[in-house]
Amino acid sequence: MTSGAEFDLIVLGGGPGGYVAAIRAAQLGMRTAVVEREHLGGICLNWGCIPTKALLRTSELYRQIKEAEAFGLRVEGVGFDFERLIQRSRNVADKLSRGVAFLMKKNKITVFEAQGRLEGQAGLQGRSRVALTAKDGTILPSVTAKHIIIATGARARSLPGLEPDGERIWTYKEAMVPPSLPKSLLVIGSGAIGIEFASFYRALGVEVTVVEVQQRILPVEDEEISKLAHMAFVKQGMTIHTGATVEQLCNTDDGGILARLRTNDANTIEVTAARVILAVGITGNVEGLGLEEQGVKVDRGHIVIDEWCRTGAPGVYAIGDVVGPPWLAHKAMHEGVLCVEKIAGVDGVHPLDPRNVPGCTYCAPQIASLGLTEAAAREAGYELKVGRYPYSANGKAIALGETEGLIKTIFDAKTGALIGAHMIGAEVTELIQGFAIGKTLETTEAELMATIFPHPTLSEMMHESVLDAFGRALHI
Amino acid sequence: MNVPMGHNSPHESSAEHVMDRIAEQILGNKQEEAGGTARLFASPLARRVARDRGIDLSTVKGSGPHGRIVLADVERAAAQPQPASPTVEAAPAETPVMGELMQAPTSAPTRASGLAEPMPDKQILALYEPGRYDVVPHDTMRRFIAERLILAKQTIPHFYLNIECELDALLAARERLNGMAPQEGPRSFKLSVNDFIIKAMAMALQTVPAANATWTEEGILRHRPSDIAVAVALEGGGLYTPVIRDAELKSLSEISNEMRDLAARARSKRLAPHEYQGGATSISNLGMYGIDSFDAVINPPHSSILAVGRAEKKPIVKDDAIKIATMMGATLSCDHRVIDGALGAELLAAFKAYLEDPVTMLV
Repeated sequence: MTSGAEFDLIVLGGGPGGYVAAIRAAQLGMRTAVVEREHLGGICLNWGCIPTKALLRTSELYRQIKEAEAFGLRVEGVGFDFERLIQRSRNVADKLSRGVAFLMKKNKITVFEAQGRLEGQAGLQGRSRVALTAKDGTILPSVTAKHIIIATGARARSLPGLEPDGERIWTYKEAMVPPSLPKSLLVIGSGAIGIEFASFYRALGVEVTVVEVQQRILPVEDEEISKLAHMAFVKQGMTIHTGATVEQLCNTDDGGILARLRTNDANTIEVTAARVILAVGITGNVEGLGLEEQGVKVDRGHIVIDEWCRTGAPGVYAIGDVVGPPWLAHKAMHEGVLCVEKIAGVDGVHPLDPRNVPGCTYCAPQIASLGLTEAAAREAGYELKVGRYPYSANGKAIALGETEGLIKTIFDAKTGALIGAHMIGAEVTELIQGFAIGKTLETTEAELMATIFPHPTLSEMMHESVLDAFGRALHI
Repeated sequence: MNVPMGHNSPHESSAEHVMDRIAEQILGNKQEEAGGTARLFASPLARRVARDRGIDLSTVKGSGPHGRIVLADVERAAAQPQPASPTVEAAPAETPVMGELMQAPTSAPTRASGLAEPMPDKQILALYEPGRYDVVPHDTMRRFIAERLILAKQTIPHFYLNIECELDALLAARERLNGMAPQEGPRSFKLSVNDFIIKAMAMALQTVPAANATWTEEGILRHRPSDIAVAVALEGGGLYTPVIRDAELKSLSEISNEMRDLAARARSKRLAPHEYQGGATSISNLGMYGIDSFDAVINPPHSSILAVGRAEKKPIVKDDAIKIATMMGATLSCDHRVIDGALGAELLAAFKAYLEDPVTMLV
């Protein structure tokens, strides 16, 4: 076995968790390498967050232009070029991927374009060995490091009988670069991924049906928000079946799919669609990494870690999607930083608090949330103060023509702690960080009330929602 | 709350106010000092929860950026034994609940490490058969007493001095005075032995001023007046210790009437905080239960407590002859940090001298 370079830290996976961990390690003076088998930036940047946002921007603009008349504009011959809008999305992803490559270079991080596999006994003389196999199958000299971070991410989960074929049954990957616009679409799963594609395709005029096994769409969101989203999507012309499972998918002669759904009340519904998007969750990329030999524990497709991202195998850590939900890039990045700082012995590192991780869904209307839902907060035994403020009462929202939406805030009545914020409406994904800052700094309602919100902005609704929780809303 | 300080929060305990005053005496002008001391960084939520749970933030180590105190730090502090914290939650802002014990200094000596943890409930319950006992939940007073007395026993080095006092002169004087007392009207009175004891202790503290003192980490507070706390047992358990202030200046009848009023209001839980705070010593009298003598636990931040037993006729040797006299046992518990053995003995001797010859209390 040939032996290559020695590092302080090797990160397996160059997605948002991995490359951020590598940059932070380099900043702290560690000799760092990233092993990436496909694209720097990972799924997020190449096949997830970023390219979908490019697509959704197109559909948002399209929707607005179609409504131009209401704004006193005359626009004629509105239409779209599907190939070009997909191409734009790819260009955006490529540009950012090159950006990550630049960041690696700038921070003197070695990048191996290869599949990495842990080898030998972990922690042998305090070092772990990583075997590298290039894309073309070439065995590269293996490398060693004191610390290994596994940040290999996740992929779409498939269900028995519901395997993607890449032709008629897609995962997010095919859904992002289809050769042409399908006439109709069945989206299985109404989490963030499913709903974003449903929203995008619906805006372009595709007949969209969404199936969700739970009783409501976006089941991790606050129930009130789910309900408002459901109403908005139905108004846009989507068909939604909740409490329904997909029993069978059959190819039809016209090149489409016939789906047989079974509802909770034992009824059978048949849906035909040209294409199906499978969005029933994701599963960690834990295979081929040599985890078992190292004693890294894997539970239901995800690596088990402690609060400091330690796997239990000496010197082996894991972060991001591969360790489980919430599957969010910003959560992976945060874990990357805290894991590296803990390794380096930086003072004042805190474990990730899942209640401080905001979640965003970029459908129309947008959805953003932080902390506990009302139901979860009640279940946790909190005595609550709940505030609500609708978009329809906000000056800026009316001026923008975006009067659909709600901002809901949840406080602990005893301490005044902000324990949840749930929003639906225009730009809520940009607004939520206001509450995230407040919550991370542990503000109470008093500081939020004392904060001056600029007028006229959508953010004023955040203020009013807080005031409303304590019976003090001014503009409602 | 009847403390005329510039605090703006109704939740802050009067104990803190008292300590602020003490701190001012020690440190001089508070305003000047405040400018020079480091600002305390804590999240708004940490501040609020600390205030609600009575945790002194200056004793909490911050784990946030640059040592900022966050909620988790306060919760950690709350979960640990907090001998130094003035359990504010025990005393709702406007309702006096606690006795003299309320006055714990916020900067009380910190708990020595290595103290044994109390036996866990689970372990205790395992020893008793279910159904053969009833559980009486703690009320705030019970918790408070437990906490303060653990603090007293763990942080105050106690020692005990015993003495016997002859009460015949006192009893004769008492009989004469009560006999000439107006039966009604504002000048009526009925003196008890305990009123004489309060007065004698007040005078003794003036005679031995070094014993009229309180320990703080910064220095010993020498008190000018003789403020005497007196334990009043409540029906159904618990106790208050209302304070007779300036007792060295008051006549026996004044002390007697004031004590009667304070005791009555203590039993109906209608004391204001300023009526049970302060003083450097307490008196606990169990004579009426037939107790000969006992050792009492000092109420922090006092430096002593006098435990009084019953008075009974005994044969004593006087001028080489056996004589019958009414004798009463008294035990002084002293905080050795403040009162050394000789000083405690001086105080107790002075007390005995006043008590045995009550006319001397008049000067």
